[in-house]
Amino acid sequence: MKSAQSRIKSISNAKYGYLFIIPFVLVYLIFHFYPTIYTTVLGFTDCKGLNNTEWNLLKGNIFANYQSILQNKSFQTAVKNTIVIWIMNFIPQITLAMLLTAWFTARRITVKGQGIFKVIFYMPNIITAATIAILFHALFSYPTGPVNDLLTKRLGILEGSYNFFISKTASKIIVAFIQFWTWYGYTMIILISGVLGINPDIYEAADIDGANGVQIFFRITIPNLKTVLLFTLVTSLIGGLNMFDIPKLYLNGGPDNSTKTASVFIYEQAFSGKYLYNRASAASMLMFIVIAICSAILFYLMRDKDAAALAKLKKQERKAAAQRAKSQSWR
Amino acid sequence: MAKTNYDEPKSAKGPLFYGYKVFQYVFLIFLAVMSLLPFVIMIINATRSRSQIESHAISLIPGTNLATNWKVFTGKSFNVTTGFINSFIVSTGATICSVYFSTMTAFAIVAYDWKFKKAFFAFIMAVLMIPPQVTSIGMYQFMYSIGMTNKLFALIVPAVAAPSTVFFMRQYMSGALPMEILQSARIDGAGEFRIFNQIALPMMKPAMATQAIFAFVSSWNNLFLPLILLTDKKKFTMPIMVSQLNGDIYKTEYGAVYLGLTLTVLPLFVIYFLLSKYIIAGVALGGVKE
Amino acid sequence: MKKALSLLAALSLMASFTACGTDTTPASTPDSTPDSQSEADPSSTEPPVEPSGDKRELKVWAFTTEVPGMVTKFMDLNPDFAAQYDMKESVIATTDGAYQPALDAALAGDEVDMYAAEAAFILKYSQGEAAKYAAPYEDLGIDIGKVKEAEIAQYTVDIGTNPDGKLVGLGYQATGGAYIYRRSIAKDVFGTDDPAKVKAEIGPGWDKFFEAAAKLKEKGYGIVSGDGDIWHAIENISDKGWVVDDKLHIDPKREEFLDLSKKLMDNDYHNDTQDWQEGWFADMAGTGKKQIFGFFGPAWLINYTMSGNCGREVDEETGEVKAEGTWGDWAVCEPPVGFFWGGTWVLGAASSQNKEAVGDIIEWITLDTSETGLQYMWANGTFAPNEDGTPGTKDTVASGVVMAKSDGKVDFLGGQNMFDVFVPANQFANGKNLTPYDEDINTAWRDQVRQYTSGQKTRDAAIADFKQAVSDKLAIDAE
Repeated sequence: MKSAQSRIKSISNAKYGYLFIIPFVLVYLIFHFYPTIYTTVLGFTDCKGLNNTEWNLLKGNIFANYQSILQNKSFQTAVKNTIVIWIMNFIPQITLAMLLTAWFTARRITVKGQGIFKVIFYMPNIITAATIAILFHALFSYPTGPVNDLLTKRLGILEGSYNFFISKTASKIIVAFIQFWTWYGYTMIILISGVLGINPDIYEAADIDGANGVQIFFRITIPNLKTVLLFTLVTSLIGGLNMFDIPKLYLNGGPDNSTKTASVFIYEQAFSGKYLYNRASAASMLMFIVIAICSAILFYLMRDKDAAALAKLKKQERKAAAQRAKSQSWR
Repeated sequence: MAKTNYDEPKSAKGPLFYGYKVFQYVFLIFLAVMSLLPFVIMIINATRSRSQIESHAISLIPGTNLATNWKVFTGKSFNVTTGFINSFIVSTGATICSVYFSTMTAFAIVAYDWKFKKAFFAFIMAVLMIPPQVTSIGMYQFMYSIGMTNKLFALIVPAVAAPSTVFFMRQYMSGALPMEILQSARIDGAGEFRIFNQIALPMMKPAMATQAIFAFVSSWNNLFLPLILLTDKKKFTMPIMVSQLNGDIYKTEYGAVYLGLTLTVLPLFVIYFLLSKYIIAGVALGGVKE
Repeated sequence: MKKALSLLAALSLMASFTACGTDTTPASTPDSTPDSQSEADPSSTEPPVEPSGDKRELKVWAFTTEVPGMVTKFMDLNPDFAAQYDMKESVIATTDGAYQPALDAALAGDEVDMYAAEAAFILKYSQGEAAKYAAPYEDLGIDIGKVKEAEIAQYTVDIGTNPDGKLVGLGYQATGGAYIYRRSIAKDVFGTDDPAKVKAEIGPGWDKFFEAAAKLKEKGYGIVSGDGDIWHAIENISDKGWVVDDKLHIDPKREEFLDLSKKLMDNDYHNDTQDWQEGWFADMAGTGKKQIFGFFGPAWLINYTMSGNCGREVDEETGEVKAEGTWGDWAVCEPPVGFFWGGTWVLGAASSQNKEAVGDIIEWITLDTSETGLQYMWANGTFAPNEDGTPGTKDTVASGVVMAKSDGKVDFLGGQNMFDVFVPANQFANGKNLTPYDEDINTAWRDQVRQYTSGQKTRDAAIADFKQAVSDKLAIDAE
């Protein structure tokens, strides 16, 4: 069918393909590509100081900014924090989103009122991160605040108030939780969209084979979600490694740098204190490299596993078909 | 719709089935409460007095201090109307740009055959990976040097190039755009732009609405770029204003702060519920299409 | 749905066109302030023109509502001035270091006419990197001969003088500190609320202070609310600032903060609150975990923070007092160590197109010693009198002339004349231990001290991490 479609299109239409991508390409080049190059160049210059836009390429050691960033303990901590917080948020997030997707797209045991649940679950995502950060800061206040109020006076679990703002672990967990809480609904909706796009025939075939819900989910739904899952993973990874609003506004990267993410670090270097644009640019490029490597790994892992799973599935299908044919002929 | 209504197998309706059902609903309701609770606390605290909040920060009983809080709040140098209008301009502008041009770009990939099509799509996937913070310093210096700081325009136009939306639209389109219809329109003598605007676009509506929600929300909530590009108070968007809500740390009026937070959220609730039917219905993406 | 979408599209198209055209119509956003219907265009680069019916806009940046409040008052007192100008204030708190980056960007974009800077970063704006944005007072049309006449404290002038020797900023307060304590608790524990006797109980020196803390603890009281309270006393008694010869220097007196803070924590002498956060304010009203004996602070802490947070509630319509809180239960005495804390300097922007107007206001705030000048009103509670016409909160001010003719009796302190304590304390105010990056460095330091006192890391590790943090953030290495 696909090849038939391609044949319908005449070659003369190719120019419209180019025409239609012009806005995207133009804006991309001006507002995204050029600034990226600019940032890359700044990383090799002496550009720093309040509102300074003049710069010279570094003489002597051209990698001086990169060296100073790589040796910067706060940057190392920030990169580690970013990855740790992302993992702490993403694993529960994707697990929960998958579970909800399985429930909401289940064909035998339908969930009543799933519309209202979907709307509610996506709601945390529509709120400005600034609002969420202030809200959670107020919720976890010490010594008096809603959560401490609940733990001590209302439920009596704790003797005295717990200082959530001084504990590095608690702060990380709270930031990760906020991220999880904000994004699980979004992830769920993307995944549901992906499942709805899977050809119903496949499911019917599985039903005929007598596969149960769990089998269908793992053998059919997940392998067929490949592209969408990859999309979710990559966008979440990028979003996660660029995490800025919540850590910045919740505790300003503290306590003791425990929630300082790479983006918060870059912002602090570039837009406060001594305005070290050059060092911040170098840090940005390093982050880009980290993200590119992580994404490449994801692409690689997903492709391999998927291909393998698909191959296995096809083999099973063939086997099943052969068996069916066999049993039929036997009968 | 992929979901077909089968009769539930009779064998599943044992006690185990009901136990599973109960667990499922309990869990879903727990999640719903978790998602809603902070909003409830926020809205209720907006009606309570400062001393009430100080002694018991959580309560499910509204107070009677709404009017007083409103007075304190409006006395602050925090202008909700300005922030809301600015955010609205930026977000709707960016949403239209991103959804319209992304659909157009996706259309170019799906509907036409051209030499660098595959390479271009790979390029978009790669562009997805470039984090906005990487470009921010260059962006700031660039915008600063061409005098584009303090222009809301500068926050809208970059949305034309939204790789993730292009990706999403392309996925949807490759499953839901019948080429035959385009072809017959061509035979009727329609131009390519008319075909796109009058035939392809309406067919993409469900996916566009979903992407519109996402684009609107992410633009509305964007803090990083506005924070570095806007310095004129009259141009501040809502997130900047909220992040400065504790404007005067020497005087703490918690009730008023909660009221301010509530006000920032309410307009978004309205827009969200207008479009929420697309969240409920769901959009089918072509998951396995190459 | 279709309608909703097309409406959205139409609105946004309209909106983005107005957005693009904002060069000429900045007021496309209706402003809720009543007096803004007519405003001059801020982004145009036209030379200043005579206001032809339109009001010109004064953009005031500050980290509290204090300075904008003064500008409003100035306009109330000068209707002619108010007929020509409108104020647009931007108030951004210094918490999380948000004020400086925002102000810096605004200064670069010529979006500022007048701005305020605090002791923790004034040097950056008067002598450091951002000094280029400050207009000399002479250029604002201010008669700087008045500095001598008004007997402005010399340190205020020194801090506000730029590298060219031109005066660019002056403060309006004197910020010598005292110990502000609860009378009822003093009577309960020490048998007296007389400042002369309480002073001898809590000082001089930190040893006596901790003896008093032990006595207070026996009766279930805390001596201070959190570690921030003693920090401000310690910060400004140090001999040298954080940066000496471009290297990070930890003054032994500041290093001692680690030990003193730990002692407070380990002995449960405070409520472990953080300054400027909920718990700290609650202790001012006496609603915290345990009752707190006192706070360290200059007169402005009483004026600007404590009186508003002490839990007193007055019905706005009837003037009836609904709750007293801790109002009137306070007194001030000499602190165990002499110190000063904070202070606000007022500057005019070099790029301002309203220099004369800015000059008028700044002169009124910093150099007018008459009874209608800001400082007299500020010191005598006539700036914002109570509903019944009695004097409002009072403060110590920079001008010696004004202080000599002012009266510091306040109801908040049970009628005590606070100037008896605060005026001698002003001798401790000096600018010799300030640096341009104090705000950033203090934040890092206090973060590490809290890590140490809460038992998360050792003393040495805290110091090492502090040095690392400063070097990482500001590229200032340790000595």
